[in-house]
Amino acid sequence: MREIIRMVVVLTVICAVSGFSLALVRGFTKAPIEYSRLKFVKEPAVKAVLSGYDNDPIKDRLTIPVGKNKKGKPINLIVFPAKKGGKTFAVAFEASAAGYHGDIGVMVGVDPAQKKLTGIAIVSHTETPGLGARIVEPNFTASFKGKPADKELKVGDVNALSGATVSTKGVVAAVNNARGLLDKYRDKMLQ
Amino acid sequence: MSLQKEFSKGLWEVIPPFRLVLGLCPTLAVTTSAENGMGMGLATTFVLVFSNLLVSLLRKLIPGNVRIAAYIVIIASFVVIVELLMQAYTFPLYQALGIFIPLIVVNCIILGRAEAFAGKRGPLDSIADGLGVGIGYTISLTVLGSFREIIGSGTLWGLKVFWSGFEPFTFMVRAPGAFVALGVMLALINFISFKLEERKRRAQS
Repeated sequence: MREIIRMVVVLTVICAVSGFSLALVRGFTKAPIEYSRLKFVKEPAVKAVLSGYDNDPIKDRLTIPVGKNKKGKPINLIVFPAKKGGKTFAVAFEASAAGYHGDIGVMVGVDPAQKKLTGIAIVSHTETPGLGARIVEPNFTASFKGKPADKELKVGDVNALSGATVSTKGVVAAVNNARGLLDKYRDKMLQ
Repeated sequence: MSLQKEFSKGLWEVIPPFRLVLGLCPTLAVTTSAENGMGMGLATTFVLVFSNLLVSLLRKLIPGNVRIAAYIVIIASFVVIVELLMQAYTFPLYQALGIFIPLIVVNCIILGRAEAFAGKRGPLDSIADGLGVGIGYTISLTVLGSFREIIGSGTLWGLKVFWSGFEPFTFMVRAPGAFVALGVMLALINFISFKLEERKRRAQS
């Protein structure tokens, strides 16, 4: 009987100490993990849509609460500002819209002063390979560069993909959603 | 045995994938490049040294019947710590090694050293043993990774080693290539140790 109690006590103590130390490590690695996730997953897209900045957009990112999901958890919009000499001159953030198959996530770079798009990059999509999936090609994404950001973008304004009209429309809708977000949260983005 | 001997035996006498032929799952799976092999080896070494130390310190407290369970909890905790640290500071490596980081928990080298060595010996000896076996494992994985990377992708540490028209032998970075590379290495190690023994015998007679 004593042996059993000893086993239970020793194992419980070991597990408790291990749980506690793991919580501790998790606590102090939380911020660096979030940073490296964004750095390696989002930075390529941010680099594709912004240029000429001298800061680290990942480090200077802003988190703007934009609402709540069904479970009541806040949804955050992460904004990557491009700064030169400490002043924000452009921002990049993600917006999405339905494509032919599932949502298309688009990283949109905007220059709010000149009211122009600095570029877009497709972050995530599940479009048909060979057809809709061509939205990731630079040929297509480059045609968004320099388009006005203060009026609604139409499919005719960009280099629409033949045979992938719905996907093209999805990307255009995502960019228009991004314009909506910019209008709504402009002050917060340009802090 | 002295501390030095405990350390150095891991580098040749019991060098894990070749002599003990343990821990083959990560050995075969992640050694597609020298960098991946070394990263895996270092992560394993970290876990091995600390789990050896803790098991050795607690060896008198842990009741014999539940020792395996206790060892696994200790090992698993260090593996999660490594996983978190890698995610925070070496994210590309973490992505390359993927599922094999959490699988260090069931790497039989670590449990084997805890059970066969650290559970019976003092903390200093156990650290030396863990370091030796860990570094031996790291070296093996790095050598195996370099071998496969040079032939399979024509690069080493990401740098090109062959002329530009060289067509890499992609077979070597796929799963069957891992077996071939491991077999060749095993044969080589056996050949060398056979020769060494022969020389020793000749010197004696």
